[in-house]
Amino acid sequence: MEIGKDILEKVGKPSMGVPEGYFDSLKSRLESIPSTEVSRRLDWGKVRPYLALAASFAAVLVIGNSVLRHTASPDPGSFESSYVEMVSFTSPSTIYNVLESEAEEVTDEDIINYLIESGVNPERVAYAGDIR
Amino acid sequence: MTDKEILDLYKSGRREAAFTEIVESYSERLYWHVRRFLCSHEDTDDLLQEIFIKIWNALPTFRGDSQLYTWIYRVATNESLNFLQKMKIRSALQFESISSKMEDRIDEDIHLDGDRLQRDLMKAVQKLPAKQRTVFIMRWFDEMSYEDISEILGTSVGALKASYHFASEKIKADLEKKLK
Repeated sequence: MEIGKDILEKVGKPSMGVPEGYFDSLKSRLESIPSTEVSRRLDWGKVRPYLALAASFAAVLVIGNSVLRHTASPDPGSFESSYVEMVSFTSPSTIYNVLESEAEEVTDEDIINYLIESGVNPERVAYAGDIR
Repeated sequence: MTDKEILDLYKSGRREAAFTEIVESYSERLYWHVRRFLCSHEDTDDLLQEIFIKIWNALPTFRGDSQLYTWIYRVATNESLNFLQKMKIRSALQFESISSKMEDRIDEDIHLDGDRLQRDLMKAVQKLPAKQRTVFIMRWFDEMSYEDISEILGTSVGALKASYHFASEKIKADLEKKLK
């Protein structure tokens, strides 16, 4: 192959394939998302007992919180994390942040965030943070 | 159906019909976009499902400040980069490098029909820093305009052109080294 300035064009774009009939099945799966999501949200019959249980826990938490309010320190990250959860995938500024962080080494903070997101027990995360 | 017609349909209350039109218009395009980042058909398939769930759930918050097209690509790009970031952390926890993992994916991808040099090109793309890789994929593979990429990534056109220039020079140098 001749080596030149436009070697990219000479090599060309790699041709990628998919299993036969893939896009038809993909579309039908994706098109069913609204009904799945709506039914997932509105299945009150199944959810009601859990809601009642959650409400009783919430009541305990509210009462406990009111008792502990004067001794507990505020968590400045709580609003930020819930906000990030809401907008992270639609905001261009977060893409920029991901690009910035991806260019660097994986930091302790990245690992801790990843472990927390993966549902690892916070005590274990704290322990991992201590031993690093 | 145009993006404007899809949005009109959504605003008229026919939300599921509008979403079906989004799937019709964007599923295949987004598949290729995400696949170039992930280098795996199976992961792309899984992530695409997540992306469209997020699009469906976030549609009520779409304010029309940007085009529907750039908004949808922003969701897909962000999710792809997040996926890769998690993969990078998982690799670090297993004392492996993400770039060798990506190279293995390219070598093992039975759905990639390219010749050896085209596989080398894919590997060279994966070796780029994240910003350059993202811009290169969107510009060279997806053939997007700089203006659209700028709107999706929230970066200036000038910065994108510089990133693209550095990316293509690195890839060319890498390929020429392989040819020698």
